[in-house]
Amino acid sequence: MVEILEESRGKDGRRILKVARENLVALMANLKDQGFDHLSLITGVDRKDRLEVVYHIHSLKKNEYIVVKTETLDERVPSLTSLYDSANWDEREQYDLMGIIFEGHPNLKRMFLPENWAGHPLRKNYDLLKVQYINMDENGEDYATFDSGDGW
Amino acid sequence: MSILLRLQSLFSIFGHYLSFILAYLLETVFMIVFVMVSLVAVIYLFRKYMARVQLRIGPNRVGKFGLLQLIADSLKLVGKESVLPRGRDDMPFRMAPVIIFLGLIMSFAIIPYGSLYWVGSLTITDSDVSVLLLFAALAIMPIGELLAGISSRNKYAVVGALRGVAKDISFEIPMMISVLALVMMASARTSTPLNLTSLVSVQFIPYGIPQIIGLGVFFIAMVARASYSPFDMGESDSELVAGHSTEYSGMRFGMFYMGMFGSIFLGSMIVSILYLGAYNGPFSGDLGFIYLLIKSLILVILAFTIWLSVPRIRIDKFVNLGWKYLLPASVINLVIAGILTLGLGL
Amino acid sequence: MTEITKSKDLGNGWVELNIGPQHPSTHGVLRLKVKLDGEIIREVEPVIGYLHRNAEKICELDYYCDSLIYFDRMDYVGAMNMEVGYLEAAEKLLGIPPPERVKWIRVIMAELSRIAAHLVWAGAFGLDLGMLTPFFYCFIEREKILRVFTETCGSRQETNYMSIGGVYQDFNDKIVYDIEEFIEQFPAKLEVIFNAYVKNDIFISRNKGIGILEPEVAISYGVTGPMLRASGIDYDVRKAEPYLVYDKVNFDIPVSYKKDNLARFLVRFEEMRQSIKIIGQAIKKIPDGPYFNPKAKKSLMIRLRGEGETYARTESPKGEFGVYLVGDGGVKPYRVRVRSPSFKNLSVLPVLAKDVMIADMVAISGTIDLVFGEVDR
Repeated sequence: MVEILEESRGKDGRRILKVARENLVALMANLKDQGFDHLSLITGVDRKDRLEVVYHIHSLKKNEYIVVKTETLDERVPSLTSLYDSANWDEREQYDLMGIIFEGHPNLKRMFLPENWAGHPLRKNYDLLKVQYINMDENGEDYATFDSGDGW
Repeated sequence: MSILLRLQSLFSIFGHYLSFILAYLLETVFMIVFVMVSLVAVIYLFRKYMARVQLRIGPNRVGKFGLLQLIADSLKLVGKESVLPRGRDDMPFRMAPVIIFLGLIMSFAIIPYGSLYWVGSLTITDSDVSVLLLFAALAIMPIGELLAGISSRNKYAVVGALRGVAKDISFEIPMMISVLALVMMASARTSTPLNLTSLVSVQFIPYGIPQIIGLGVFFIAMVARASYSPFDMGESDSELVAGHSTEYSGMRFGMFYMGMFGSIFLGSMIVSILYLGAYNGPFSGDLGFIYLLIKSLILVILAFTIWLSVPRIRIDKFVNLGWKYLLPASVINLVIAGILTLGLGL
Repeated sequence: MTEITKSKDLGNGWVELNIGPQHPSTHGVLRLKVKLDGEIIREVEPVIGYLHRNAEKICELDYYCDSLIYFDRMDYVGAMNMEVGYLEAAEKLLGIPPPERVKWIRVIMAELSRIAAHLVWAGAFGLDLGMLTPFFYCFIEREKILRVFTETCGSRQETNYMSIGGVYQDFNDKIVYDIEEFIEQFPAKLEVIFNAYVKNDIFISRNKGIGILEPEVAISYGVTGPMLRASGIDYDVRKAEPYLVYDKVNFDIPVSYKKDNLARFLVRFEEMRQSIKIIGQAIKKIPDGPYFNPKAKKSLMIRLRGEGETYARTESPKGEFGVYLVGDGGVKPYRVRVRSPSFKNLSVLPVLAKDVMIADMVAISGTIDLVFGEVDR
């Protein structure tokens, strides 16, 4: 059995399990075997000193929701793509907006923003006043630039 | 007394040869004007009819009942900048819409129009092989589409052009076999069965009645030729943007647009000539042209109704339809025509 | 002047085609990188983000009550459902439950909005398949719903009707009359639209057996809503975890076991009929009472403080819409996270549209029911 650091209930009455980052994949595999087959949501929360990753998993048969939380200090979290296909896009989105690096992800590219966008917008220390412009290069790929250029 | 002879008598002071040349020229101008006016009328009719079917009003701002809307639209198209893609193959790109339009005008020139009151016969050319000429002229238009698709260096256009070719191949053969059946039936009555005028004149009962299968096959082929829905795979707007005409703008695009509406009008006219007795009817000496127009307009409305009510067919399904259903049907039709001609002597 | 780059050689005679972001069939700004083998699609890679506004970040910078308008702009064709979704989470976090009457009002508005969203989908799906006419029939009906919305809150699409602990304005007699009139005449009109599709052989042949989505794949990819139900799993948040007063009204969840395009089409149409059923019951049962919680008066609204975290899920027209709110005791949310169903449903497109023809891919992406405000947020 995987060691659970803390178990509590949220304001909405959902079970919250807290695990260490190393035990995340084992716990998720365990939960998947118990019927939690639907990874509903992956959320990264920037706690300033650390990054918290929250997984909402759901069992369609038992109609239960479990919230799994893990924390990371160095932005790295193991990827769940081997267990759930839906983790693929969610992790890409969290990588894009929150800067969490999911180790073992097959295709960790940015989801919404161009590949060379500076910074991760959902971080608390992201500088909103620094304007970046999106432009298109010769091959039709988008890129971000600080230079407003002719088109703007 | 035909319109040609009337025009020639106007110019008779210029001598025999010159007067005929002038008469032909003037007649051609008349015909082009007729084609243009009828295209405008068909497009106006289409827009109004479509609006009614879709619970809308349709064009009603420019002129009374929006009658001048098409003029305004074409002026807008003429005034628009014609954007040329950078990687185009220049000459075919510029030629393609012209080729389509040329094919359309040529086909209109070959059709027998019947006669109208005092003007007399409106037919322009009266060749003994006008059936062959007509289908040769019709076959020009796909060339324009193919050229447009390949020369504009756009992947959508290429895919659209290839679909167009696949479509053409699958309906052309059944179409020609149905025409063959007609010619076979007519050959029992007339020595010039390849002449459209004599093909019409032997239709005591319209050929659509004994050859109902051929009529169906031919009408489907004509709708497909005009790339009307459900057979608009070539320029399917939700899949290939605009198919072969993706890169065209301004009046060049307008020519494609007119070619599309022109070919449904042309197709309806051909169907009514070959199968529905064309200008035959009571007082056809005076009203023949009117009959032809009415018959073809009914077919045009039918094609519009089909357009507005069905989704697009998939290209492989259409090729299936062409080879597995239309071709056998047309062969059966040919056999029936043979039995009718030889066995019953119709 | 730059040289025109030669198109990349992919080997196998494949062609790379870029469908979108400006393309008639991509419902907004979806861009699909497609590898074509003749007419057959071998690989699809959706590229999204062309409508990305980072609503989650904007919400973090705003008061709890102000964030609502960004939810309107997510699924902009079914805005009421988005508002319900956010308020379910926010009210739990802030501890301001809505009065009973508000719950019924919200149910009615959410269901009307669901019908409107499905009608937009039905019309656009017809356009995808090359059918022009039903589009207008759908939009005429939708316009009647939007007229009700205009009457209640002054806005057609981005309604901003609900607020924390209540709604902007109570129902008056005219609104009730309008809604009753609408649900009376709508079923017949819906049948007309329905028949325009299903009585068409070409429509059936374009959709039957196309885009098979196996239930295991659907669950693994997080697909929810009508798409999941068309794969044979009767999962609907309105039944699974009833919110508002969905447990007090009687309705069914349409499920199809055929898994294909046609199944998704039928499920959505049946959902519209069920929505009418819900509205019909709710408009009769709606109790009297206040239309906002006095704790959430306008002057107090910006002083609402939330602490802890909540996750609320609701059934939007596209699927399970979840909002995860984290508060740190301040007047602004610490973290807002949205589970947008279209985003998850789109992620299954590379599986569905593998080795199909271009025309089929357009039909399949039509049945996914994408709204880009929601995918990109």
